[in-house]
This record gives sequence, C-alpha cells and structure tokens, in this order.
Amino acid sequence: MIEMIAALQPLVVGAVLIWSARVKLFSRHAAAAADRSALVPILGQRRALPAYRLLGGVELTLGALLLLPPVLRLEAVAAAVLAAGFLAYLTYARRAAPASSCGCLSASPTPVSGRSLARAGLLLMAGGLAASATGGWPAALAGRPVAAMAVLLAEVAAVVALSPELDQGWLLPLRRLRARLTHPLRGGSGVPLLATVQQLQLSDAYRRVAPLLRSDVREHWDDGDWRFVGQAARYQGRPVTAVFAVPLADPQPDAVRVAVVDDATGHALLSLAGTPAPAGPRLSVVPA
Amino acid sequence: MDQTLDRRRLLATAALGGVVTATGLGSLAPEAAFAAEATTVEPGAPDPNFAEGRIGKITGNMLLVTGSDTVLHSIRITDGTSIWKLHPTTFDRVAVGDGLYARGVRLPDGTLAADAVWVNIVNLHAHIAAVGRNVLHLDHKGRRIVAHVVPDRSAAVYNGTPAVSDMSLLRVGRHVQVLGAWHPDTNEIDIATVYAAA
Repeated sequence: MIEMIAALQPLVVGAVLIWSARVKLFSRHAAAAADRSALVPILGQRRALPAYRLLGGVELTLGALLLLPPVLRLEAVAAAVLAAGFLAYLTYARRAAPASSCGCLSASPTPVSGRSLARAGLLLMAGGLAASATGGWPAALAGRPVAAMAVLLAEVAAVVALSPELDQGWLLPLRRLRARLTHPLRGGSGVPLLATVQQLQLSDAYRRVAPLLRSDVREHWDDGDWRFVGQAARYQGRPVTAVFAVPLADPQPDAVRVAVVDDATGHALLSLAGTPAPAGPRLSVVPA
Repeated sequence: MDQTLDRRRLLATAALGGVVTATGLGSLAPEAAFAAEATTVEPGAPDPNFAEGRIGKITGNMLLVTGSDTVLHSIRITDGTSIWKLHPTTFDRVAVGDGLYARGVRLPDGTLAADAVWVNIVNLHAHIAAVGRNVLHLDHKGRRIVAHVVPDRSAAVYNGTPAVSDMSLLRVGRHVQVLGAWHPDTNEIDIATVYAAA
C-alpha cells in the first residue's frame, strides 16, 4: 500500500508545481503578485520579478519532469528540496514581512498563514515519499486504479483545503449556503439611533443650531412617538442643551423640532418647530 | 433617577412646546458662527484640540491618556462632555485600559477639556469571511476580527440609505466598513454601524 502511495506522489507534486508555475509565468498579474511577495524585502524591488519568473520556470521544468517518464529518484529529491525551500521562505516571510502576500498558487493577495505552511509541509512529505518509490505512477495507477484514485483525490482535497487562495471557489460558497439556510443575522427591529441622527442632521432645525453644538450625542430617550436626542451646546458663554425631537414614524427631516435650553435656569432660549415643505412651485434640478 | 426624569421631561416639553423666537439670541445663521471661530491650527501641525491614546489612570474627572506617539494627555471630563462607548453612555462606563479619541478645548494648563470622547472606537475596512449567530468574522488585511452584532444597538447602512437594524442583507465574501467598539487587547469588536452594498 505504502509503495503504491509513494509511487503516486510524483503525480501530485508535479501537478501542484505546474499549477503554481502557471501563475508565475503566464498570469497577467504576475508582476503585481511579485511586488506584494516577500521577495521584495529579500532581493529588492528590481530583482523580485525576475526571481519570481525564474522560480516559475524551475517549477514548470521540475513538474514536467516528475509527470513524464522516466522515473528518476533525483527528480523527487529535487522536488523535496524545493518544498523545503518553500517552507523556509514562507516561515521567513511570515516573521519578517507579515504584510506580504504568499504569491504561491494565485496572484490574488493572500497573506502567509498556517495553512500555507502546512501545504508546503505536505509537499515536502510528498517529495520525501516520492524519493523512496521504486516504480512509476502509471504502473501504480494501472495496478490498483480504485485505491490509487482515492489516494489522489484525498491528496488533492488536502492541497485545496490548505490553499487560502482557493477559498473563493469552495469555502465561501459553502458558508454562503449555510447562512442562507440558517439566517444567523435575522432579527433586529426598531429604529436605530443612527437613523435618528441621520434624519436630524438633514433637518433645517439642526442647520440652524449646529454652530452652537459642542458635543456629540450625550443622551437619547424614547417617549411615545418621539425620540429625543440631547447634545451639549454653548451660547454666549453659557452652557446650554440642544434637545431635538424626532418622530419615530416619520422619516422626513422636516418633522424634526429643536429646543435650546439653558442648563442653569431650565428656560427654553429657542424652540423651532419643523418647517413644512414649501407649497409653491419647486425648482427641480435635473442632472445634465 | 428622578432628577434625570425631571430633566428629560423639561427638555421634552421645551422641544415639543410652542415656538420661542430667537430674538434674544442674535443671528443663528451658520456663517455668523463660523466667522467668529477662526481656525488656529497650522497646516501639518497636530490639532491641539484633539487627543487619542489608551487610558492609564482615572482620577476624579481627569483621564491620563498615553497617545500612540507616547505623548501624555490630561483630559478633563465635564458636565457637557458626550461619552460614546458603542452608544452614548456615562463616565462610569469608562475604564483604565480603554482606548479613546477626544475632542475639546485645550486649556492654558495643557489639559484638554473634552466636548466629546469616543471610547474604543474603531473604523475598519474588511471582508466578511464567515457569519455566525449575531457575529461576523471579518478578514482585515489577513487577520481575523470577530465582530459582534449587539441587538438594539448595531445598525446597518446599505448603499448609503438610512440606517436600519436589519443585518440580514450582509453576505459572506463582501466588503464592509465597520464602525465599532473594540474589546481592549482582543481581536473582538462590537458593531456600531456596518456599511455595506446590498
């Protein structure tokens, strides 16, 4: 069994390397991916892209050699060495440049995570296993096709599961499906305070007293159909409170009322009722 | 408590009562107020009327705050200071270790008499990585942030329309901007407002 698994490893490692090389050599976003990678702090801005491309070339060559006969132990050893290099590079990138992108299997910005490290570790193990194989993968696949396919599928699933770049294709749709089935964010009713504040800030009453206001919302409470919002203000050196009355059922800014109350005496210095919309002809502005 | 109720009754009556003309108030036009307040901040210089940092000590109504640039600020909380900690709240909810943004007036002795204090406020651009029961798992530059939906407090703004309490239009994988209150020294926040496309 272990012999069959070992013989299949060049197929898995080769496929992953070719997939990885595809991004580095043929993607239109390769330059951007190289720029975001930890190659920039290691090699400098100028050498990052050539190094990225060169790595792609090495990956493509080695991947092709692993997939194509003849089966040579040297190929598997080279793949294991490359995987060990990936592991070292990712460990360094995670420590020295945590903001950098992996640049591994996709050009999309993906920070180096524990999963990327685990994937490099998996490749290293696969490379090591491949070096101990005696036969080629076509023979192993032909010998026990069902078991071999199962092993291959399991390994591909493991690589996909350990690739944050591929989450978009399977993990997020699964999470979306779960959210659609369970509605975890359902509920939530009533008028949030922000809606009241947005409404009053659009009102004429607010525009009139805004220059006096000093604080953000200090207090708010609901009473019947109204929500009251109090803000500290200052008028002629005296501390005053501007209290807005906002109807809970009517979202029109015109309905907002305001009073300015002296904090010391409790007298209303100013009280403005909402101004109804003008009844006359309105100037309508049409975008050109 | 009775005092608060009396005060609120007084304020409510004033707001809903008859119109008091502003004859004694002089002009309330915005341009009149702005003309009186010349800005004194040099371009590029730090705004003297703003402070941010972590609270190191609370003595009476004074907060000793260490800024992220290690500058120490003394911030005085007055009767007129608004305090925000996920929602408008009171001074006794402020604790040592909280972060804050404060705006007010710098007094001659160097203390900042605060008009408004926002405690633990954060403003994040992130992607929704997953949703759970009343919780969003956000991916913020590759780091995971757990954002709690607080019933009756959290609001959602979809496509710039007025805020609503309904969070159910948020989708996994979408970009959001979240205003919230940080739980100090954790990767968790409570959501005040989430801005999203729907």
